[in-house]
Order: sequence, then structure tokens, then C-alpha cells
Amino acid sequence: MGNITLGRYIPLDSPIHKLDPRAKIGAMLLILIAIFFPAGWIGYAIIFAAVSYIIIRSRLSISFIWKSMRPMLIMLVFLLIINVLVIHTGVPLFSIGPLTVYSEAILQTLYIVVRLLLMIMITTCLTATTKPLDMTLGLEDLLKPFEKIGVPSHEIAMLISIALRFIPDLIDETNRIIKAQESRGVDLKEGKLMERIMAILSLIVPLFVSAFQRAEDLANAMEARGYQPGEKRTRYKVLKMKGADWALLLGAALVLAGMVWLAYFR
Amino acid sequence: MPIKFEHVSHIYSDGTPFRYVALQDTNLEFREGAFTALIGQTGSGKSTLVQHINALLLPSEGTVYVMDREIKAGSEPKGLKSLRKDVGLVFQFPEYQLFEETVLKDVAFGPKNFGISQAEAEEKAKAALRLCGLSQEYDERSPLELSGGQKRRVAIAGILAMDPKVLVLDEPTAGLDPQGALSMMKLFRDLNQKHGKTIIMVTHDMEQVFSFCDEVVVMEDGRPKIQTTVQEFFRDSSLCEEMNILPPALIRLKDALKKNGFEIDEDVKDIRTLAKLTAKQVKHHG
Repeated sequence: MGNITLGRYIPLDSPIHKLDPRAKIGAMLLILIAIFFPAGWIGYAIIFAAVSYIIIRSRLSISFIWKSMRPMLIMLVFLLIINVLVIHTGVPLFSIGPLTVYSEAILQTLYIVVRLLLMIMITTCLTATTKPLDMTLGLEDLLKPFEKIGVPSHEIAMLISIALRFIPDLIDETNRIIKAQESRGVDLKEGKLMERIMAILSLIVPLFVSAFQRAEDLANAMEARGYQPGEKRTRYKVLKMKGADWALLLGAALVLAGMVWLAYFR
Repeated sequence: MPIKFEHVSHIYSDGTPFRYVALQDTNLEFREGAFTALIGQTGSGKSTLVQHINALLLPSEGTVYVMDREIKAGSEPKGLKSLRKDVGLVFQFPEYQLFEETVLKDVAFGPKNFGISQAEAEEKAKAALRLCGLSQEYDERSPLELSGGQKRRVAIAGILAMDPKVLVLDEPTAGLDPQGALSMMKLFRDLNQKHGKTIIMVTHDMEQVFSFCDEVVVMEDGRPKIQTTVQEFFRDSSLCEEMNILPPALIRLKDALKKNGFEIDEDVKDIRTLAKLTAKQVKHHG
């Protein structure tokens, strides 16, 4: 379970890590929108350059980014097959048996793949450089304006942060229970159907018991300290936008404007 | 056929920013038939060490020998199942592994996994439950509705029912009331002395080490720092002080008496003998 790279926070000391989460989420949204404009290869090159710059500044290793993109390879193969079967425009390149591959099929696949990879790069960059708790704080602030139409921004943020907080605990717990049951001779990899059902049951029941126990403990602890949803409260960590944060947003806005220009006004 | 560690290292999450060396170049031998205590501060590698004994963790470097088996870094271990039958590992807070509908079924789960018949497994389960002090009336109850101490006994019975030759215990009495802890320790002593089980126990309780164990291994920063007999370890409080451990009450008392001019025999191991010895000397000086 230790090999999940997608969405994982990497504690490093870099200027990107120190940016305001609201600025980072905002910039990510702008760039994500920008990716969807049909701005051609020049556009993607610009976005790629911008994202690469941010990744370099964030000191994330190339291998980490690569690892988080790797699951997409399956997607690529899948898309390629679909496109080859469906798209019959452009120049015929070569044929495999009765199937002719057209240039447009390859090109369309590449377009989609480049977009997907850019999106993964940018979201990985956000999740890897922002602590989950900072992220929820930022999210709460960004959702604030929607409170007027009845969006409970604080409760949503609280839900997300509690859920995030329990993920590592539950992973640890799962690993512990796996080990405990393996010590009792459970074989999770082999065995007959009935044995495997039993093996999985021997994990799920204790996991549920302990998850409910944890949830109850947390609820009691919060109530004991007077937590009440919907109440006004101050924050331990107050977010403040600084020069660098505005610069990031401005940069992202410029990239978006550039894409719009490349797509429609050239 | 002892348990032997040769140049064993264990590294968690190697090749990531979370890389952590939990064991480094450990050389260690656990004597067969002994009751060994494994002590050391939190994060000193005790839990990592014991998980190598039944191959839940595999060494990153070096070789672990468990009885006639060899677990070598970089090679796929063979005969895992029989190893896990021979080495029963009881984790910290083992009550979290209970899942069956009844106590008896849960305890029989282990032996059944090692391929014996239902009837035989239940027979072994019953024997293990009685050994752990749980009478017949508990057999058909749900393990989830028992008290914490009883759950712990059920979980330990679940390991004992597998009839392991070696019993590895990771803080088996943590969170139990003093009386429950004491009777549990007595159970382990019986298992060691009457049933001939080799026991390796991780603990923080020096009183337990002093009264129940034969040998001590002190872990520090992922290495065994000291390995000696309990008698040698508690001869006086100097070794304990060096390791930043509070010695057992009796040893502290002996030290205080010695400092004040009493002559105390090194081998005095219980409070009664010590009291008699002190009284005699007080009278003598009258």
C-alpha cells in the first residue's frame, strides 16, 4: 500500500510548498480550463513549459511525477484502440490485416493523451506540495461565497479534512490486521474460493469494528470540546495572500488568456 | 535450533523521501527455551525485529535463521505457512484481530488455516481457551461483547491454539489492569517452563523483565546494544542508568541500602529475603 503516488503529499521545503493553498487551487483551476481550449501544439508547449517550471521550483523528483502518470499508459493504449477503430479521416498510414490506421486517429489520441498528462502533472503538483489540511482550509475559503445559496462550506471542509485525516490511520490499521491474520495462517494470495472469502472477511470485520470505534471516539472528543457545526469560529492558521501568490494567479490567468487568444483570435 | 539474525537490516520505503532505516546490521541470537525480554525506547526497532521472526517482514539485507529455516534478503522465502505455525506472533492490542461470531470459532480459525479438521481445531481451541483462563461459558459468546482483558485472552488463545514452538509477544499486557497483567505474565511463565515454549517478549515494564524473564536484549537506534541475562542486567542499577531505564523497585531499594552501608548479596531476588537480611544486619549493629 506504500506505492500510491497519486494525490500524496511530499514534505519538501520549496517556494511552491509555501504558497497560499487558495492561490494554488485557483491557479490549478485556471490552467485546467486553459488545457481544454483547442490551442494547438504551441498552446500545449506553453502550458507544459509553465507546469514544468512550477515542478522544477517545487523540487519534486521527475521519477515521482513519472510514477503518478504511469497508470495513464493503460488509458493511452485503450484510447488508441478506440480511435483507430472509429476515426477514418486523414492520411492512411499503414494497415494491420483488414484494419487501416489513419493519421487523424493517431493525432486525436495524442491530443487527448497530452491533455490528460498535463492535467495529471498539474494536479499532482498541487496535491504533492499542499498539506491536505491546508488544502481543505483553502477549499473552505473558496466555497465561502456560495454559503449564501446554502452551501455549508465549513461542514464540507470539516468532512473532507476528517476523511483525509483517517486515510493514513486506516491504511496502517489495514496493514496491521493483515499482518495479524497472516500470523494466524491466513493466505491472502492463494487458496480456494471459500478460503479466500474467509480471508477477506477476517480483514473486513476487524477493520469496520475499529473504524466505527475511531469515529465514535472522535465524535465524543469533538463534542467534549464543544464543537458545534455552523457556529462561528476563529482559526489557528490564518491564510494570507502574498506577492508570490498573486503572481502565481496572474501567471495562470495569462496562460489562460494566451490559450483563448491562440484558439480563437489568431 | 535457535533463532539467529546475521547482519540483518530493514529499510522501510526505500527509494522514497519516506525512507527509514528501522534495523541496521543486527546480529543477535535468541536461545531456545529461554524467556527473553526485548526492551528499548519507542522507535528503537523492537517491533520491526520481531516481525522478521515469522517472516511478516523480510530483511532488506542479511539473513534470519529460524529453527531449520533460512530467510535471506532478496530471495523469496519458502515454507511460510509452516514457519508461521511454528512461530506464533501476538501483536500489540491483539483484540483488534477478532472477527468471528463466537469465541470458539475465532480461536479455532488459526489451527484450521494450518489444515487440520474442524473437530480437531475446536479441540485445540478449547484447550487454549482453558489455558488462558476462559471457562466453557465463553465459548459461544461473541468476542465483540467481551471486556478488553477477556478479548485479549481470546486473541492470545487464538495464537496458542496453533501450538507454536516459539511465542513472540509484542507488549502483551499494555492497557491491562495490574491484576490482569500479572495473571497474564504468570500464564506466559507457565508456557515457558511447563510447556517448553521459547518466548520473546517486547515490553516496557522492568518489573516484568525482572520477575519473569531469563534474558534481556536492549535495542537502541535499530541495533541490539546489550544482550545479557536478567541477573547480570540488574546486578546493580548502573547498566539501567546507562540505558536511561528506571530499574525495578527492588534493585533501587538494594542500591539505596548498599549506599547506606548495608552488605547486600547480589543474588537476592525477592523482597522477603532482602527484608530478613536487612533486619539481621540492623540487629547485629543494634
